[in-house]
Amino acid sequence: MPTQLLRRGVIAAAAAALLALTGCSGAKDGGSAPAPKLTVTGEKSGTLSIVTKFADPKYAPYFVSVAKAYEAANPKVKIDLQQVGDQPYKDKIRVLSAANKLPDIYFSWAGDFANKFVRAGLAADLTSVMGPDTEWGKTFTPASLKAFQYDGKNYGIPINLDGKYLAYNKTAFTKAGITSPPATFEDLLSACGKLKSAGYTPIALGNQFGWPAIHYITQLNAYDVPAEQLAKDYDPASGAFTDPGYITALQQFKTLADTCSNPSANGLSHEAAQANLVSGKAAMQYIESLEFQVLTAKGGAPKELADNWSFMRLPASASAPGDTKALTGAPDGFMVNAKSKQTALAVDFLKFFSNQQNASKIVKDLGWLSPVTGSVSNENAFPQLVDTLKDMGQASQFAIWLDTVTHAEVASAYLSGVEGMLNGDRSPQQVMQGVQQAAAKAKKQAG
Amino acid sequence: MTALLSRWRTLVWVAPAVALLVVFVYYPIVDNVRLSFFSWSAFEPTPVFVGIENYRVAFDDPVFWRALFNNTAYAVVSLVFQVGFSLVLAAVLEEFVHQRLRGILRTIYFIPATISITVAGILFSFLYNPQFGLVNRLLTAVGLESWNHAWLGEKSTAIWSIIAMSQWQSIGYTAVLFVVAIQRIPREYYEAVRVDGAGPVRTFFTITVPMVREMTTLLVILTVSGAFLVFNEVMVMTAGGPDNSSHVLNTWLYRNAFFEDDMGYAATIATVIFVITFIVAVVQLAVARRRRIEW
Repeated sequence: MPTQLLRRGVIAAAAAALLALTGCSGAKDGGSAPAPKLTVTGEKSGTLSIVTKFADPKYAPYFVSVAKAYEAANPKVKIDLQQVGDQPYKDKIRVLSAANKLPDIYFSWAGDFANKFVRAGLAADLTSVMGPDTEWGKTFTPASLKAFQYDGKNYGIPINLDGKYLAYNKTAFTKAGITSPPATFEDLLSACGKLKSAGYTPIALGNQFGWPAIHYITQLNAYDVPAEQLAKDYDPASGAFTDPGYITALQQFKTLADTCSNPSANGLSHEAAQANLVSGKAAMQYIESLEFQVLTAKGGAPKELADNWSFMRLPASASAPGDTKALTGAPDGFMVNAKSKQTALAVDFLKFFSNQQNASKIVKDLGWLSPVTGSVSNENAFPQLVDTLKDMGQASQFAIWLDTVTHAEVASAYLSGVEGMLNGDRSPQQVMQGVQQAAAKAKKQAG
Repeated sequence: MTALLSRWRTLVWVAPAVALLVVFVYYPIVDNVRLSFFSWSAFEPTPVFVGIENYRVAFDDPVFWRALFNNTAYAVVSLVFQVGFSLVLAAVLEEFVHQRLRGILRTIYFIPATISITVAGILFSFLYNPQFGLVNRLLTAVGLESWNHAWLGEKSTAIWSIIAMSQWQSIGYTAVLFVVAIQRIPREYYEAVRVDGAGPVRTFFTITVPMVREMTTLLVILTVSGAFLVFNEVMVMTAGGPDNSSHVLNTWLYRNAFFEDDMGYAATIATVIFVITFIVAVVQLAVARRRRIEW
């Protein structure tokens, strides 16, 4: 009995001591760090840590090869490259941020996702080496540089260009008697009717994790809400989401899903729906240009589809008040850890990563569009990709994905709300109520 | 002198394990409770003290209550199948199945438990696929096409589909444990009861069930706390959707911590999970102590 008491006493004392200790700790060092060095002086040496989200075997080898090439060119440099999957990256990077263990270079989506790092002082200000007026900055397309700007300063380098398009099967269109891609939203709905009569699922939709529907809403919000109001609402400090255009966007999406898509979209994954497009059962799917490779012969598509597909933008309604030339999409990018000791080396690696040779390689190997001007040509890209670049050049701006452009609470409210709307459990008004509540909460947090 | 020395010796032997427990179990629990009183994000430089605001938010949060309901449903269904049905299965295996078949059947029932939860989750995602999944195809084949659903895509069926997958995986595991417990029962009891003229059902309820109650207690604790700690199955199959209908407390915690950057609220949910599982374990152990079996 006494031994038990003694044991319990020891444990209690240890716990209390630790509790007291934790109360004392937690004070982070204040005081501003000196501005990070961005140019390498002398010989390049040291270890560079990089974390990307490209563990997918389609993409991983490219990054490994670039890292190896840099190491070969600079023998005293060692690169520690870690690649994780798309979904796990979102938590890994947050854990690393919270633990103050961010790598020297890390991946980021554009929008508020990147801005969070900037506000927390975790992204190095690269304006002096890659601003629009610098030599390096001029090699990128202006729209791609803009996507990683915050408060007028540049914080990330874009590594690809991505736009969301309706890829369509030309044979299906011909069979259904559709002579040219629908120019307005209303035309699209009637085209769906024709495709249904011809025996196709007009638009394949697989919404299992919620983001495919969100991409539709991103585009429709850009079309239906005036651009200035949209920008104000997407900013967490001033978001209100009361414009009636938001409800119009949701209603349009519901109509589209009901008229054109397969039922049970929430139970089907995006990839499973894509299988329907590739096999020829569905006529269209709203996919990213990064996925276009899947529809080519090199990507494994059957011959009937590989030679017979094209793409178009999701058409706006004839009376849309927003920016009808906005294109849903964004570049992905790399940012440099402001607190890293290797910022200069990191910048040097990123310059290497985005030189003409590596940019052309990314186009050839992965079928991606590179934001480096002049890297895409008919030699290294399939014809639809070259056309995509031309179309992107005509976009007035990128409408960044709704789930990364704004505060995570608002994104979450939209994700779950639209899922409910697709199932018929929620009305567009109810979805917007949830979004408005989340926006109010986000404003409180930001303010 | 010897008593003191022996006490110190005991301490030395116990100290490493206690140290591990304190560092990896007790300290995180205490620190977690402390964190639940702050508003904190991975990107904010300092946590902000908010008192019980997080708990108030949890009280008003419909998803929190839905998650709690889902966990409870998980626990109830798991008790029925993984304890109740499993015991019946074990008794049948031991009493009515031929000696030679016994080993094979036990292995077959146990195999699902050896599959990683993530793999099982993905496997069942295929089965539940509304277009080409086997579940819908089977229902259509027997003429029950009206019962076809998008199992993981509808609010009313998502969590139940996940629970069903979990039962498939764990029934074999608990059945094998019950088999072990049943094998410990002395054969004399069965002979005696057969002499008294009891049939198989009566035997089951009067001999088998009471004699395995220690194992039953253990499995009830494991099943219920396992039901409140479930994460992988839900994350892999629906990630809590559609429309937050299949969230369990752990996945909702994860979503708040790593997607909505609200670590304080996530700590609150974790504290709630801790309190629930702690109470369940304490109640169970108190009840069990009164009912030990004396062989």
